[in-house]
Amino acid sequence: MLGELLAPVRARLWVAGGLQVVASVAGLVPYVMVAELAGELLGEADPGRIWTIVGVAVAGLLVRTLAAGTAVTVTHLADVGLQLRLRRRIVAKLGAVPLGWFTARGSGEVKKAVQDDVHSLHHLVGHAVLDLTSAAVAPLASVAYLFWVDWRMALATVATLPVYLTAYTLMMRGYQARLGEMNEATERINSTAVEFVNGIAVVKTFGQSRRAHERFARAADDFSDRFRSWVAPMIRIEAAVQSTIMPVTVLLVVLTTGTALVSAGSLDPVDVLPFTLLGLGLGQPLLTLGFGMGALQEAREAAARVSGVLAAPELPAARETAAPDGHLVEFDRVSFSYDGARDVLSDISLTLRPGTVTALVGPSGSGKSTLARLLPRYWDPTAGAVRIGGADVRDLPPGELVATVFQDVRLLRMSIRDNIALGRPGATDAEIHAAAGAAQIHERILASPGGYAAEAGGLSGGEAQRVSIARALLAGRPVLVLDEATAFADPESEAAIQDALSTLAEGRTVLVVAHRLDTVVDADQIVVLDRGRVAQRGTHAELMAETGMYRRLWERSAALEEAR
Amino acid sequence: MIGQLTAVAGQARVRGYLVTLAAFAVAQGLAFVLLVPVLRALFAGDSAAAWPWLGALAAAAAACAVLQYRQAVQGFSLGLDLSRSLYHQLGDHLSALPLGWFEADRVGRIGRLVVQGVRAVMGVPAHLLQPVVTAFLTPVTVVVAALFLDWRLGLALAAGGLLLAGTYRYTAGLTERVDHAVDAAMAEAGGRVVEFAQAQAVLRGFGRTGAAHAELETALRRQHGAGRRSVTSVVPGLALNALAVQTVYTALIGLGAYLALGGSLDPAVLVALLALATRFTEPLMLAAELGGALRMGRNNLARFAEILATPPLPEPETPARETVPDAPAIRFDRVDFGYGGSPVLREVSFTVPPRTMTALVGPSGSGKTTITRLIARFFDAGGGAVLVDGHDVRDLGTEELMSRVSLVFQDVYLFDQTIEENIAIGRPGATTEQIRRAAGLARVDEIVARLPDGWATRVGESGAALSGGERQRVSIARAILKDAPIVLLDEATAALDADNEAAVTAALRALTADRTLVVIAHRLSTVRAADQIVVLDGGRVAEIGDHDRLLAADGRYAAFWRKRARAAGWRLRAGREDRGYEHAAPPAGAAPGTPAEFQP
Repeated sequence: MLGELLAPVRARLWVAGGLQVVASVAGLVPYVMVAELAGELLGEADPGRIWTIVGVAVAGLLVRTLAAGTAVTVTHLADVGLQLRLRRRIVAKLGAVPLGWFTARGSGEVKKAVQDDVHSLHHLVGHAVLDLTSAAVAPLASVAYLFWVDWRMALATVATLPVYLTAYTLMMRGYQARLGEMNEATERINSTAVEFVNGIAVVKTFGQSRRAHERFARAADDFSDRFRSWVAPMIRIEAAVQSTIMPVTVLLVVLTTGTALVSAGSLDPVDVLPFTLLGLGLGQPLLTLGFGMGALQEAREAAARVSGVLAAPELPAARETAAPDGHLVEFDRVSFSYDGARDVLSDISLTLRPGTVTALVGPSGSGKSTLARLLPRYWDPTAGAVRIGGADVRDLPPGELVATVFQDVRLLRMSIRDNIALGRPGATDAEIHAAAGAAQIHERILASPGGYAAEAGGLSGGEAQRVSIARALLAGRPVLVLDEATAFADPESEAAIQDALSTLAEGRTVLVVAHRLDTVVDADQIVVLDRGRVAQRGTHAELMAETGMYRRLWERSAALEEAR
Repeated sequence: MIGQLTAVAGQARVRGYLVTLAAFAVAQGLAFVLLVPVLRALFAGDSAAAWPWLGALAAAAAACAVLQYRQAVQGFSLGLDLSRSLYHQLGDHLSALPLGWFEADRVGRIGRLVVQGVRAVMGVPAHLLQPVVTAFLTPVTVVVAALFLDWRLGLALAAGGLLLAGTYRYTAGLTERVDHAVDAAMAEAGGRVVEFAQAQAVLRGFGRTGAAHAELETALRRQHGAGRRSVTSVVPGLALNALAVQTVYTALIGLGAYLALGGSLDPAVLVALLALATRFTEPLMLAAELGGALRMGRNNLARFAEILATPPLPEPETPARETVPDAPAIRFDRVDFGYGGSPVLREVSFTVPPRTMTALVGPSGSGKTTITRLIARFFDAGGGAVLVDGHDVRDLGTEELMSRVSLVFQDVYLFDQTIEENIAIGRPGATTEQIRRAAGLARVDEIVARLPDGWATRVGESGAALSGGERQRVSIARAILKDAPIVLLDEATAALDADNEAAVTAALRALTADRTLVVIAHRLSTVRAADQIVVLDGGRVAEIGDHDRLLAADGRYAAFWRKRARAAGWRLRAGREDRGYEHAAPPAGAAPGTPAEFQP
């Protein structure tokens, strides 16, 4: 998964890795030169040679800086390029998945994949390759050099490493064993905290903030205690073994061994020096490695999520472009299931004649909204077909025949003008103003600062609703799907919205999801849905003449009226 | 940063930890310095003289080991206590903040901060403070010691250290500026991504996926550009850091060689000092890498400090409890109020007698919601007073006030617990029987019957398993169980199914019977049934009276009534006639439309 995502930058990562090897080795040169210099100074002290040594040290330094800088630049540029490429791929995917895919997850989740998860790969591409390379190369090269100088001293220098590694392995095993429990405890405290924050306002209105607060505080204490009891022993072990590779400890070992060997006459004093220069930092990369591993793990998980998004099945593209003949809408034995197991709609057949209004009514969960959303292809039916003018909607180019006005209005972060013109980008100002006028929003837009050029974000719910109606009006699509738009943030503008809707419905093939029975009394066709099946269909008068669900629904509201 | 830490963790703890850190750093520096006499003895061919120094080194190393152990354990412990204390302080403080502070987006932000921020702060002592203190104090110790050994090289080291610190500051500033640009580009692109995802239905419906795509593509390209710029400006900065460190080191070699060749410096001392210089630069290199993490830790702490600094709602020393005879249930006495900026309410006065129903009516933004919020003390009035049962709400105290008032607002928050537990919030210690009774009155039992695990079904995060109407019924059941004498109601604007509509209506009737009711009314039948209608306009009371009187007065209310009555009689009808729609005639006298109503 990770490999596939990284494929476009693999070559550049190899180059950067190679540069980093050069940099790591060159970085040792100044230290080696100090040792050489010491030999000269304490011995013959030949000025020419001494200045050569200084020159080589400077050269090593320059090579190192150049190589490392280039390596970092290469990986980072590869990284930002990769991020752009991945984001584009995800965005392209977002434009191709079924609309229902978005309902199943929040927009936060989408943003996480596009931004946060892609960003998590940054550490891997930008840093991890280089860090791991230098963490491996620098110590190995140092140790090789030290063994070349004196193998006994070299052994003493690395003597404490096995102790540390053994203890560290044991400790990590301890962590692993506890990892599940710790993650669980962390998740628990997190959800308790979020719930406390989200719910505190409610809890306060019932005068019980003290109790909720106590519960939260207990959860926090409980988490603290558990976390301490699990982690503290490990921390103690870690702290104890850490001292075995501390620079000071290694210094002590190196100097003691060196002094002993020098006293015994089997080591030139000058040869102690390289060990004090290069031997002390050997354990440091291990710590870097530890940090790097965590980030690597995070990147791997992020990569899995990004791959998951990229692997989401797409809504099949138009199989062949069909030309619709007229605007008769047919639902032909349509069934639909969200999960593949339970049918939300079964075997529904409907015909919507051009220029008529068809109303869907029924209790919640009867499938009204789902059925209406098959027309603009939020999903494709699992069986049967939806046709416009005889052509399967799956074969029609998207977005040319059907306009929708749903309850959750989405205006884009652009000017009001562009929002209205969304369905017809070439529209003139006069056309846009006419649509806004018909949607009862023209005056309102003119009266507000910025007018049509203002960003749409400043509109109230009811105003946004009317802009969305103006948009649908201007788009002039022959088929209209309407979720009876009575959920308004601003009930005061209800009358204006209703006028706009009526204008919009004029002369089109209309499918309306109705919540209030009054609204649809005059519909040409009323379809009563019950548990995903058509229970009844007919005009208001016909349905009232039958004993059935429709009449029951009316009788219930009549009973309410009497209860007054 | 230390200041923020002490503010959260307590001064003594932080100081104790810092002392350990400092002791470790100094001990380490001294141990490094001992390198010089040992090497000098060895180079002088007098290895016997090295042994006492080695003894001292062993002692220093032992001290280092002990201190290292202590600081690791203390750092972990401090981090853990820090997180615990943060949780507690946040809990205390959030409980005391005014209800009005809890706006939706703010609550979301704090939720994230509590989850991510606390974890981040936990790591601050061990992963940030320790390296920073070491990086500073160990080199200082080394420099001081070097001054004693050879003042020229010591001064060179000190100068080098200052140069390094300067470079570090410069590049850190550079990084911070670039990071800002990158963050801004990332936020913009993130916003566009969310918009692109949320507006998919609309975009596809109008065949304009490409249009928003263009905006998003621009944002992504900008983000990419910012990323590239950050590489080209930060990488040289980082390289500069590394270069500076190594330049200092090389300069020392050069200077040392020069002095040694001139004979004014003992080569043995020089070599030993060079070995020491290695130890001098290493911690600095390490600290340079911590800049970003430090900034993040500081930002997190600052965000917590900001919340903790928000002034809480003042509570009375001794809450008023005694009953005031013949007091109105609610009284607004020349109340002024504004949310920081422009005034929302101006000189609002009205009185609500016990067991009557008052409807608040007016265009959006006229102050209806604010009035209910002031009664529940989401905020305190700017001028004038809000009285409940004859007491200023500021004298009642939150608990006492909340025991007298029930709130049924549109945004219902349910906890991810069972329905039963969610209702029980209304009255702690309620028996199962009482809960079931309230549930029955609010017709929650019908919801329960359809749920897989009945009463034991968890409702999901924010009650996701229930529909809007169902959530509302649960919240009404809560209020019924709570049984407070005053009910503040924001009538639902959303369309409900006939089933839910009927259930909610019945539930409200059960809740409001025999109680004082203040309702933000959206349904005409509700308005008509009110004992008193307060018509608001632009934050002022425009009219007060009952339906008949206000209608007769033919003022704002009459105009409002006519417009709304027309809306409620609306019918959708298309196609068959030339006129695509028509309005049912406003019914005279009777309340028209869907008859969803309740009355006290």
